[in-house]
Amino acid sequence: MNLYAGTFYLLAAVTLGSTALAVTRRNVMHAIIYLVLSFFGTALLFFLLGAPFLAALEVIIYAGAIMVLFLFIVMMLEIRPAEQPLGLYLRQWLPAVVLGALSLAVLVLIIFESGADLSLPLAAASPREFGRFLFQKYWFSVEIVSFLLLVALVGALYLGRREE
Amino acid sequence: MKTVLLLLLVLPLGGALINALLGRSLPRRAVEGVACAAVLGAMVAAACALILAGGRAHDLSFLQWFRVGEFSAAMNVHYDPLAAVMALMVTFVSAIIHLYSVAFMRDDHDYLRYFCYLNLFVFAMLVITTADNLIFVYLGWEGVGFCSYALIGFWYREEANANAGRKAFICTRIGDIAFGVALGLFFVYFSNFSITYINSHATGLSPTLVTILALLLLWAALGKSAQLPLTVWLPDAMAGPTPVSALIHAATMVTAGTYLLMRLFPLIRLSPLALLVIAGVGAVTSLYAAGAAWAQVDIKKMLAYSTISQVGYMFLAVGAGDIVGGLFHLVSHAFFKSLLFLAAGIVIQALAEEHNIFRMGSLRRLLPGAYWLFLAGAISLSAFPLMGGFFSKDRILLATFIHPGGAYKIFWLLGMGAAFLTPLYTFRVFFVAFPERPDGRRAEEIHPTLRFMAWILWPLAVCALGDGLLNLPGGFGKNFLGYYLASVPGARPDLGAGVATEWAMGLMSAATVLASMTLAYFLYRRRPALEPAITGFWGMLFSGFYLDWLYERIFVRPYQAAARFLWQQVDDRYDQQVIVGGARALFRPYRALAKFCWLQVDELVIDDGVEKTADSLVTVSRGLGYWTTGRLSTYLKMLFLGLTILFGALALTWHLR
Amino acid sequence: MNSLVPYSHTLVLAGGLFFLGAACTAARRSLVMILIGVEVMLNAAGVALVAASLRWQQLDGQALVIFIMTVAAAEVAVGLALIVHCQRRTGSLDADRYRLMKG
Repeated sequence: MNLYAGTFYLLAAVTLGSTALAVTRRNVMHAIIYLVLSFFGTALLFFLLGAPFLAALEVIIYAGAIMVLFLFIVMMLEIRPAEQPLGLYLRQWLPAVVLGALSLAVLVLIIFESGADLSLPLAAASPREFGRFLFQKYWFSVEIVSFLLLVALVGALYLGRREE
Repeated sequence: MKTVLLLLLVLPLGGALINALLGRSLPRRAVEGVACAAVLGAMVAAACALILAGGRAHDLSFLQWFRVGEFSAAMNVHYDPLAAVMALMVTFVSAIIHLYSVAFMRDDHDYLRYFCYLNLFVFAMLVITTADNLIFVYLGWEGVGFCSYALIGFWYREEANANAGRKAFICTRIGDIAFGVALGLFFVYFSNFSITYINSHATGLSPTLVTILALLLLWAALGKSAQLPLTVWLPDAMAGPTPVSALIHAATMVTAGTYLLMRLFPLIRLSPLALLVIAGVGAVTSLYAAGAAWAQVDIKKMLAYSTISQVGYMFLAVGAGDIVGGLFHLVSHAFFKSLLFLAAGIVIQALAEEHNIFRMGSLRRLLPGAYWLFLAGAISLSAFPLMGGFFSKDRILLATFIHPGGAYKIFWLLGMGAAFLTPLYTFRVFFVAFPERPDGRRAEEIHPTLRFMAWILWPLAVCALGDGLLNLPGGFGKNFLGYYLASVPGARPDLGAGVATEWAMGLMSAATVLASMTLAYFLYRRRPALEPAITGFWGMLFSGFYLDWLYERIFVRPYQAAARFLWQQVDDRYDQQVIVGGARALFRPYRALAKFCWLQVDELVIDDGVEKTADSLVTVSRGLGYWTTGRLSTYLKMLFLGLTILFGALALTWHLR
Repeated sequence: MNSLVPYSHTLVLAGGLFFLGAACTAARRSLVMILIGVEVMLNAAGVALVAASLRWQQLDGQALVIFIMTVAAAEVAVGLALIVHCQRRTGSLDADRYRLMKG
């Protein structure tokens, strides 16, 4: 167990834990905050897995923009935590948990049956290399995706307008 | 080059298809425009192809139609100078006739059907003209036969017209049987249907086989070209509209038979016997038909017999080994005969469907356009010295005369006899119908015809009069057509007769023609024109030597009697005894069986089974319906469930591999 | 120098995150929470891709993560706009209230 591995498992635990908490909170605001924590953890994981640029982007876009957007909407719509008896709440969770556990078991079986397993090498892609690669090989997709953003912008504007 | 030839074939076909599919929703002018444009386009394509070909042969392949083992029918084209000249003639004459038809059929409501068939006919004729693969030729062959049937019987509501169409089709079919047999033999001995292949490999066959093949092809050509003994359909075919007669029965379809013989000439000339028979048929037919034409009173029937006679000349040319002369006469004939038909059409329309020449008269004054046009055609047909048909007919007679063999001298005599009769019957009609007569027509009886109909024919008249220039026997432009066709196997540009013989022939022909015209003048112009009684010798000529009567007695009546016998005696009796009686016998056990099936099988097994199945289905669907809550959360859970199942299944298959 | 972290562990981590998100989407009644579950799923996919990119030493995985993030952003924007729209129309964000698809 070296530093790298230790950091990885710690971060993994934090991410999983905060995601689990986020998913189970009744109060939406709490859930969002826990989720921000989860994204931070993911960002650090990205850094560890050799994608520093993506780590930055994760913080900026996911934690920074998307979660903030969620916060705005929640506050705008004044969402109160739902008043639901605990029994009903748990009954909703049962099928999801069962199915999730089942799928996870299948996944783990597949992963550990596949045989030769490599340790991850230590490497990192500098933003320069990554940028060059992206615009060299996937320039077309970048163009399309920027167009997609435009479309989403228009869509969001239209859907969210106040109908007088 | 390939594009041009493709356009040549596809344009008329396209015109026919467009009119057939869309014509009902198009205005009349559009339909006519499409049809005429298609043929004019084909004419331009033919001219371009001729120029581009540069006197060489081109073999092009368009489409592999079907192929079973060795049997291959491909839409291949062999475009040599022979095909080039023929295609240009066909499209040129067709174009003029289409334009004429627009005016001629102006009062007819069935114009759409007419133009569709006319375009389709041009396509089929061009297929015959250019095709290399004999099955492809057969397609065109049948196509022209069908279109001819459809167009002869165009005004089918009159029974006589429909009968004429049927008669034409049946007669040509008798010829087509021979074509089919020949195709079979070609396959057996050559394994190939290509004309070029057959022509180049013909020398490897035994003489008997070559003769048989040539005679079969002759029989097929006889049917299409209305030569003896299958002439009877052409006079009756005049029941169709006059432009149809001009196109199909003067310029194109009847020449298709000759053309086929010319295409396969290298094969046919290997059998001297076949050539002799061909020449003989041609010579005898031409005299026979000339005689019959002399006695006709219907202007169109006269022209029909005249066509038979002139096509006989073309057969005579092939039999004498001179396909240049044959093609030359074919082209000349196309020009002047269609001109004559179309001019006659003007007259017929002007006189409200009057066909009898003895009820015409004074048309020179009343229809001057038709007068001059008909005169031009008549001069050309008569082979007046130095005009139109003179050079082509002269060349054929020369070729026949110099051909070795005594029989050919007899054929020459027959041909000269026909040459004497031709101006006679032509000018008989001319002198009876056109000059001023006291008992002729008066101005009030003339129905107005479009002047367009007359002036569209002038190019045709110029061609008819001047086409001698195509192949002059001497001097400037000597044997122009002959040298153009030099690359076609079997063509002889120069007949090789001595100058003295040629001059002697020419002078004799000229003298014959002039003598005949003078006789016609004295018989018909000087004396009052009385309709002759159809009796005795005259009656024999009028009915075409009683050929129709003979066929009716020999073939038609027995066939009808046999059919009647089979129907009334055999068929009816069979119905009564066998069928009804047998039905009664089977009735009783069938009834018992039906009762059993009904009670036991139908009610118990089937009905109950169906009901129970229906009930169970209802239960199942009710159960499933429980899940269609319409609630979003339910559906999301279902999605997750589906995902899990899918994932599990994938893992399972992956694991088992 | 090795990381001593087997590749399969990263995949398990990503899988776990993914199924947490799936469970969130399936189990929660609030529309916002459903959308949050979708976000978690997308993020998990990103983790898996970056790990794969490191394992095979190719940058295509990371490029794909960029696109995923972009698409996620676009989708969140439109999704939240839709939620706002629904709230205005029906006054409630309860998934059970939307029953128009019944039958």
